[in-house]
Amino acid sequence: MRARAWLVLAAPLLAVLAQPAAAEQAADPGASEPGLSQECRVPGAQLYTAAKLGAVRAALAEGRPLKILAIGGSAAPGASASYPAKLEAALEHALPKVDVVIDHRGLPGEVASGAAERLRTMVVEAEPELVVWQVGTHDAIARVDAEAFESALSEAVAWIRSHGIDVVLVDPIYTASMAADVDYNRIVDAVRTVAIQQQVPLVRRYEALHYLSSRSDRGEGHMLGRQFRLNDLGLRCMAEHVALTIATSLTRTETPEEPKAGPATQPLTGPQRAPG
Amino acid sequence: MRDPNAIDFWRGFALITIFINHIPGNTFERYTFSQYGISDAAELFVFLAGWSIGIATRGRDGMPEPPGKSVVRLLARTVEVYRAQITVMLLALALIAGAALLLDNPLILEWHNAGNFFADPIQSVCGMALLTYQLGYFNILPLYVLLIGIAPLFVLVGRFSLLAALALSGSVYLASLLFEWNLPSWPGEGDWFFDPLCWQVLLVLGFVLQGWNLRSGFLRRWTRRLFPAGIAIVLLGIVLSVMEIRPDPMVVPEPRLLFTFEKTYLTPARLLHFLGVLLAFAPLYALLAPRIGRIVGYLSQLGRNSLAVFSMGSILSLIGQLVRFQTGGGLLIDMLVAGSGLFGLGFTAWFVEWRTRSRSSKSRA
Repeated sequence: MRARAWLVLAAPLLAVLAQPAAAEQAADPGASEPGLSQECRVPGAQLYTAAKLGAVRAALAEGRPLKILAIGGSAAPGASASYPAKLEAALEHALPKVDVVIDHRGLPGEVASGAAERLRTMVVEAEPELVVWQVGTHDAIARVDAEAFESALSEAVAWIRSHGIDVVLVDPIYTASMAADVDYNRIVDAVRTVAIQQQVPLVRRYEALHYLSSRSDRGEGHMLGRQFRLNDLGLRCMAEHVALTIATSLTRTETPEEPKAGPATQPLTGPQRAPG
Repeated sequence: MRDPNAIDFWRGFALITIFINHIPGNTFERYTFSQYGISDAAELFVFLAGWSIGIATRGRDGMPEPPGKSVVRLLARTVEVYRAQITVMLLALALIAGAALLLDNPLILEWHNAGNFFADPIQSVCGMALLTYQLGYFNILPLYVLLIGIAPLFVLVGRFSLLAALALSGSVYLASLLFEWNLPSWPGEGDWFFDPLCWQVLLVLGFVLQGWNLRSGFLRRWTRRLFPAGIAIVLLGIVLSVMEIRPDPMVVPEPRLLFTFEKTYLTPARLLHFLGVLLAFAPLYALLAPRIGRIVGYLSQLGRNSLAVFSMGSILSLIGQLVRFQTGGGLLIDMLVAGSGLFGLGFTAWFVEWRTRSRSSKSRA
């Protein structure tokens, strides 16, 4: 019964995605995710790695509202809607009939020193099914050692999952002046490593923005220059990219037998290599 | 200017510690006492602010000044701290925006929650004036504004009974822990990083203990007797923080804030640890003062001008972070950043005192 109920829920989702297996066709660099608006289109392989979201699936199966704790991320300057409002809209579009409730918090400070502790408090207060965590920027700017960052992040993600809560990680942005920065790239890699090890979905903001930056120089100018235009675009697209990652991950999570899902054990798909 | 004393010395010490801790990742961070205990320099700073209110609202003879005068005095101080907070926020935002432009690097805009300001200046500028919009590492001054703002209430109650003032403050503290009361952040969701409803208890404690300390030898006798307990608590704090042992907030029983180590709510564990630190280190000043006169003089000068030094420290630590970021850090850079920071703080204190002196001599002329 439950599985059938899930199919009913999933049908519109699949329709929205139209190409649910796009991530598996990662080898085709031209295949953009059709669920995305024109300016945000990035091939799935460069946008995310999917993994199971057991707690989210359990909430959906029971018809409960989906409580999400969104950490970090701000609106693009002058945007009509904030990041949490956009994320809520994008998710409710992808998952019709599901009530999405988003608690959006800033988490200043470094994961490697203090911020991870503060995150625990937030998680306890919000009691979410899912934590969408945009992470790494502060540690990168503070020049935190990548290994210290990785172990602190890994511990924090493991803690959240040990309490039956799902996690989606979002890595830091791409910008030209940081592209050759070794330490910065180590932080971006560390987020990816943790996502793979802890088997949680990852929104690859760095790769996605890199793709968008190389794709086109056209479009409106920005009075502060190209990097700032790219950054605005990244902020505008973030909600869509996160929503697509969650939706894709959900299509690969089977409905749980028991009402309360424990931590997912295996990702259905491994991390996908970016072409080129 | 008043002579070096224990209060100014420890205040200066807290200011230096906060400055170093606000440049995350720097080499010297691991040598600050904050890394070796449950509580840190923020507790020390707020407690000493309360103690100083006790001193400031009494005459030289230790008798309380007229209540009206104390209220106006604290109101004037509140305005001063508020002005400092607004100035520091504006400069911090300008530094972040300026660095992003200069280095052509929009990543910097996301720093310390500043991204919200640049994305939504209309709401954020209101939040800035209301103190509900705070940048990461820039959240002590808003707490301080509020604490000094509500201090007259406790000072007035304290005129009748210091115990009543402490009881009132303690009840607000306990209720805030039980019901998780905090002030909201806006724009954006969430609460204040330093919950004023909890942290006020430390300010009032400082104020009340100053009064008791003055009045009788009872408190002084007991601080001496409890010295071993203080040492034991400090040692326990070192073990817990070095081994990273702390309660899991998801697992502790309700009401959970009685059991966790959260800085936001100044939970009982932090408060107890701070009192232990106080007991253990209170006798230290008398031992240090004759031996390291120069350092005592320097730290006391910082402590005498704590608001200016704190404000400048916030700005200098942000500049230090930018320098570390752009250069990639390293021991040499860290020494340069910390060294010029310590010099800058000393210069700030000297400058404020010089300005006060030259003004008062001019008005006399």
